[in-house]
Amino acid sequence: MGYIEYLAAREILGLIGQPVITYIFFISLFICIFSIVYLIKRDNKYFDYLIKCLYVSTGLYLVGFFILAWFHLQIYNTVLIEYPAAMQQMIPVESSRFAIPLWIENEKLYFWAMCASVFVLTVKRRKDILSFLGVILSIFSVIVYLLSNPFNDPLPIVHGEITRWFAALFTSDMTIFQVAGTLYGRITYYYNSTYMWTHPPMLFIAYASLIITFAACVFMLLKKDRLYDEIAYKYSKIGYLLLTTGMLIGYPWAIEAWKDSAWWWDPKISGSIMMWVLYSAYLHSRIYISKDKMWKMTAYLGIICFVSLIFTYLLTYIVPGIHSVVQP
Amino acid sequence: MKLKNYDYYLIIITILILFGIGAVSLYGITYYNYLAVDAQWTQTMQYSQYIYEMNSYIYPFLVLLLISLGLCIPKRLFEQDMMIKTSALILGITIIFTIFSDLETGLGFILVVMTVVQTIVLILTIKKSRTIRFEKEGYLVRLGSSLLHLGIVILIFNFVDFQDNPYHLLIFWFGVILITSGNICSFYPEKISSLFPHE
Repeated sequence: MGYIEYLAAREILGLIGQPVITYIFFISLFICIFSIVYLIKRDNKYFDYLIKCLYVSTGLYLVGFFILAWFHLQIYNTVLIEYPAAMQQMIPVESSRFAIPLWIENEKLYFWAMCASVFVLTVKRRKDILSFLGVILSIFSVIVYLLSNPFNDPLPIVHGEITRWFAALFTSDMTIFQVAGTLYGRITYYYNSTYMWTHPPMLFIAYASLIITFAACVFMLLKKDRLYDEIAYKYSKIGYLLLTTGMLIGYPWAIEAWKDSAWWWDPKISGSIMMWVLYSAYLHSRIYISKDKMWKMTAYLGIICFVSLIFTYLLTYIVPGIHSVVQP
Repeated sequence: MKLKNYDYYLIIITILILFGIGAVSLYGITYYNYLAVDAQWTQTMQYSQYIYEMNSYIYPFLVLLLISLGLCIPKRLFEQDMMIKTSALILGITIIFTIFSDLETGLGFILVVMTVVQTIVLILTIKKSRTIRFEKEGYLVRLGSSLLHLGIVILIFNFVDFQDNPYHLLIFWFGVILITSGNICSFYPEKISSLFPHE
């Protein structure tokens, strides 16, 4: 087992996964069309088509996810990092394997979109909200396909690290030592960390749930129907619970992994605090939802919260910081 | 002012304070982006200055938030008149501490007071005491609210005054458990009740 087997698994992932995500892309176009047509004509025929497409799309997302899980398992089985003898005296392990979570690099948007699809299927009471969510989901799927396709060049950073490791085995002991040292840190404090397996997925599931809160809040502005508020609140509870706990779990991880690095008041952390206080404000305003002014205020707050959520997510890509992929 | 209106305006003020914290965070993002001109800037004095500035901007909002949420003011223990006088006294002492010492000492004082108060509230809630009152009815909702508020107080206290304490992470996890269980009790009282059917 080694690099050849790993490369074979990577190729199979592309071969099987690429058609799956292509089908998702085309079905998302139909979802968008049926959603818009239903919102305009209010003809149940189009809504039935929409529901069928949503089920197929969600099913495909799940199939794709299982394919990704299989690939991650192959990475675990085929790549073994055996640390040099000199290094083993400094670290508590002799070797490591990559236990890579399914929500990193170009897989995180896929995971978020898949969770959102599953949540959308649970919204059964309002056809208008479901149709609006259909438009959002289709946009989401198009973005995943065009900008964050996990089957096209799978896990490029992990791939670079694995390739560097196997290449280093044919060079000097010093190079092996250096590469192994870097990988030990990455594997221990990032990929295989318990926090990595809990903190991001909790946040992505929360984000997925809060998409529905956003959609319901938009409809709250259009019509004062108590059912919209109930839907918004139902999903905000799931979202807020996971958001709060997920964010808090990030704290001990930051202490463990970043130690003396500068991470406090990092833009992503500031953004997360902003998002959390806004959702707290939304939940507070809901207490007096029966008052006319509070109805609109709650709806606006729900929308502002979602804007802050998207902004916080994008911060990784637009502002430098310890969480970011861009650097000054 | 009627108690119902009082609570309503308190919620409005709370929302405004939360917005204030959001605005400070947004300012922090912009300011960080402006200052981060090279990769090494976090190792400069400028970064320490940035952290100090951001803390000094957020602390007054934290004091206001804690007061408005009824975390500091023993809102749930006393009548309205007594409550306002008590909160004014606590705020006054906090300001005096801030003027003659620093903002962290002031915040530390208010946090000690509200930890004690919230612990009393939690004990009274668990004992189903009638001396405390809540916006929402239901034992589990009350319990959840008390757990949540105590958890928030403990977490802020831990962040502000126990950063270097050997029990920092232990206290943190205790706060997380309180907040998470508080959220679950507040959001899903019926589901939890159904797990423990009454005879």
